[in-house]
Amino acid sequence: MSAARWLLALLANALLATPWAGAAWALDDPAARMRKTVLDNGLTLLTLEDRATPAASLQVWVKVGSGDEARYTGIAHLFEHMMFRGTKRLGPEAHERLIEARGGRVNAFTSRDVTVYFGDVTSEHLPLVIELEAERLRHLDMSAESLESEREVVLEERRFRTEDSPQGRLFEALMALAFQAHPYRHPTIGWRSDIEKVDVETCRRFFETYYAPNNLVVAVAGDFDSEEVIELVRRHFGPLEAAERIPRNPTVEPVQQGERRSTVHFGVRAPLFAAAWHAPPSGHADAEALDVASLILSSGRTSRLYRRLVYEEQQALSAVGSYWELQNAGVFYASAGVRPDADVAKVERLFFEEIDRLRDEPVTEAELDKAKRGLEVDLVNGLATAHALASRIGRDFVTFGEVRPLEQRLEAIRAVTAADVQRVARTWLVPERRSVVHLVAPPAAAADGAGE
Amino acid sequence: MIARLAPAIAAAFLFACAAFQPTPAWERPPPPPREGPVVEAAALRRAELPNGLRVIVLEDHRLPRAALGVTARRGAGLESPGQAGLASFTAELMERGAGDRDTLELAAVVDRIGASLSAGASFDETSVGVAGLSRDLDTLFEVLADVVLRPRFDAAEAGRVRAETLAALERAKDDPGDLARMAFARALYPDHRYGRRLSGEPETVARLDAAQARAFHARVLSPGNAVFYATGDVDAEDVLARVEAAFGAWQPAAVPEPGSAPAAQAPTGRRIVIVDRPELGQAQIRVGHEGIARRDERRIAASLMSRVLGAGGFSSRLMSRIRAEEGLTYSVGSSFVLRRHPGPFGVATFTRVPEVRRVVDILLEELERIRSEPPVAQELANAQSQSAGRFALSLETSEAVAGSLVDLDVHGLPEDSLDTFRGRVRAVTAEEVAQVAQDLVHPERVAIVVVGPAEAPSRWSGPRSPTQDGSASAAKKRRSRFAARRASRARACACAPPPAPPLPRRAPARPARAPPPTAPGRTRGRGW
Repeated sequence: MSAARWLLALLANALLATPWAGAAWALDDPAARMRKTVLDNGLTLLTLEDRATPAASLQVWVKVGSGDEARYTGIAHLFEHMMFRGTKRLGPEAHERLIEARGGRVNAFTSRDVTVYFGDVTSEHLPLVIELEAERLRHLDMSAESLESEREVVLEERRFRTEDSPQGRLFEALMALAFQAHPYRHPTIGWRSDIEKVDVETCRRFFETYYAPNNLVVAVAGDFDSEEVIELVRRHFGPLEAAERIPRNPTVEPVQQGERRSTVHFGVRAPLFAAAWHAPPSGHADAEALDVASLILSSGRTSRLYRRLVYEEQQALSAVGSYWELQNAGVFYASAGVRPDADVAKVERLFFEEIDRLRDEPVTEAELDKAKRGLEVDLVNGLATAHALASRIGRDFVTFGEVRPLEQRLEAIRAVTAADVQRVARTWLVPERRSVVHLVAPPAAAADGAGE
Repeated sequence: MIARLAPAIAAAFLFACAAFQPTPAWERPPPPPREGPVVEAAALRRAELPNGLRVIVLEDHRLPRAALGVTARRGAGLESPGQAGLASFTAELMERGAGDRDTLELAAVVDRIGASLSAGASFDETSVGVAGLSRDLDTLFEVLADVVLRPRFDAAEAGRVRAETLAALERAKDDPGDLARMAFARALYPDHRYGRRLSGEPETVARLDAAQARAFHARVLSPGNAVFYATGDVDAEDVLARVEAAFGAWQPAAVPEPGSAPAAQAPTGRRIVIVDRPELGQAQIRVGHEGIARRDERRIAASLMSRVLGAGGFSSRLMSRIRAEEGLTYSVGSSFVLRRHPGPFGVATFTRVPEVRRVVDILLEELERIRSEPPVAQELANAQSQSAGRFALSLETSEAVAGSLVDLDVHGLPEDSLDTFRGRVRAVTAEEVAQVAQDLVHPERVAIVVVGPAEAPSRWSGPRSPTQDGSASAAKKRRSRFAARRASRARACACAPPPAPPLPRRAPARPARAPPPTAPGRTRGRGW
């Protein structure tokens, strides 16, 4: 958030005297104590001491995701798997086994914008996590054999998450429909044919291109001494060589000119409905108002979608709408699980009536207050563990180049008005820029199910 | 709240060593664990009201939050198979109107303060919890007391809940993992409540109504059968006064006897159950049999054995072989589901259809091998340090600690179990682990469940023939019974499946490692 916007938010809050204005809100933001260290090779290290927990979380945020892919979709994610397949000194999966044997948790995830590796341990094991992360960045050992084995694992993951999953198929179809030019259209796990064909050389080039220290942010939170962690990181990550430049995808999604629709056939008993509107990317001034709209639509039994679709009309088992911000674009995502005996077209109509209502009339003050309070509580809950703290500083820094102070975020949330919510709904949630997918049983299977 | 475990000096020393040693950290001996009491005595307050309600208050002033709840020591285990779903139905109805408020009025009070309210049942307990900011403690208490003491059990709401549950049960058939889990439970417990889904089956749910829920509530929720807990930024004295005011007049009642144990099975051999899902490219697989009860003295040795077998992530034999070496799956795991009576023990995984037979063979081999080649010293030591370390991480928040204390109370286990847990883990010997493998793992009489396209038997041919002792025909019978049913008839359904997964707001995560598929059932999975 820009300084100007921050100031505006503050002013607005002071003028509006929201219900919180009088409440003593003395939340200590641990991120205020965060230290930032930039190594000579460009690696950014963020350390946040929190001595009230026995745990420590170290996260390596790599600024590459499936949105950076060219030619082979899924390589960012497949490569993430390869990072666990051993180094010149350590065998396949040894990294994970070593930390597991000390009771720690190890995992990684890939999104459209980032790849994140983490180790959560009781704090006496933090030095091991630091050395292991540096080890694979400096001495990764990829072989054709390990790639073959991991390729099969990823294909199993694709079957599990997407091909045999109604939700997975629905979401894959929706993103491929909403984006036509930008690589965000591709599933992060990749299309099957690409996963089947990618080779070791391509993986190696991908690694050399994106896994440079000046493309990494290391975030550490929990019980440790910053000086000592900084020294260890300097020692073990310092020898990495910076890349001259990190290539970025130039594509900008053209403005959508009219609704898009698609149907997916899959043998389900309960059809699914989903829609996506193009929305602004991370850091946009409308973010908080879109978040507030999300909560008014979807949070709790009093939310509009629950009340209308699930409770009153009894057409859906669930219904949500939420703002999903990405680095280079955003999506307002809607989905509903249709009751087996209900009609997906009717669910869509009811859903869009609620979206229309958001555009046509201002939300009530009670709804506004409730949504803001929900966001406020979410922020507090996000401070509860070392892992959550490291995630917050890592994500914020990678996305915004700074860690947004809690107070600033609270003020921005509190500044949202009913008029703001209506304005962003009118700006973004328009029929011309939405994509709609129905996932239903193929006609034959539907008849089969009906005859049961 | 969670005690700082050792002086900072020790940490400084360790870091200094790490900085100057040339050998990599993984070749140096692990630093000594920094362990102190899990629960600081000064933060914990226990009490009991005259009406028998036990009270646990755990202060934690790190964040301005508060969580409180009431848990009764009985749940779906009280139901007969024909009533399956009553406890969950009752809990759901408790959220639908209480005191002066109907469903939406109650929800409005909760949503207005950004709090959460949830009532639910497991086989062993029925519970209500609220959580929010500590400055809203008045409202949190008011809502909790209304939901626990004064639920309305409105007939129209009962109709809604019944219809929603039936729809959710139908939708659960779209989830292959859920189909596998329930077919496995039914194979293990054909005549016992554990063989039916927690939320019930269509034919039992269809018969539930508000009067039954009201009766179940009256029977299960009474002060002598319940524990109250509160944790977070609260003052113990203040909480005790509020508990007295809110729950002091709650009338004692007889505590119901727990539900019956499953009849001892006399399994004669392997059983095979196939749930036909023609549209799947990947088959879900479950292999196992009945396990042990929550209070079984062997539970820690059993959990360590299970870690070596399949519950220990990449350190486990199953994950090493099936995923890391052979690339046959994305995830595999083993587990004991610990309940009042012995819950399922089993291994769970999934693989592409042509590899089903190979994977089932490997699962059976490894179940045999954990008996014939029990964990060696290094495997056991790994499992022990893994168990002790993960324990500390799992109790990072006071909500988790309070939840564990309640769990101990529900099962009548010693109050200091959390503090003694790591010592008990380290005391387990290789002989004990070898013995539990002998006593608790029986590959010769497992149930094998496969969810996938049955019409492609030539593609995966099914597991190798069952043992010779007459079970082959039983297996064949079962198989044909299940294969003959269309997928839609397979025993399915779930405790309400989650709503369409809202996308994580910032980044839809795609973890490299899935959590192991919760093998044979849902569990709180706590062995202490």
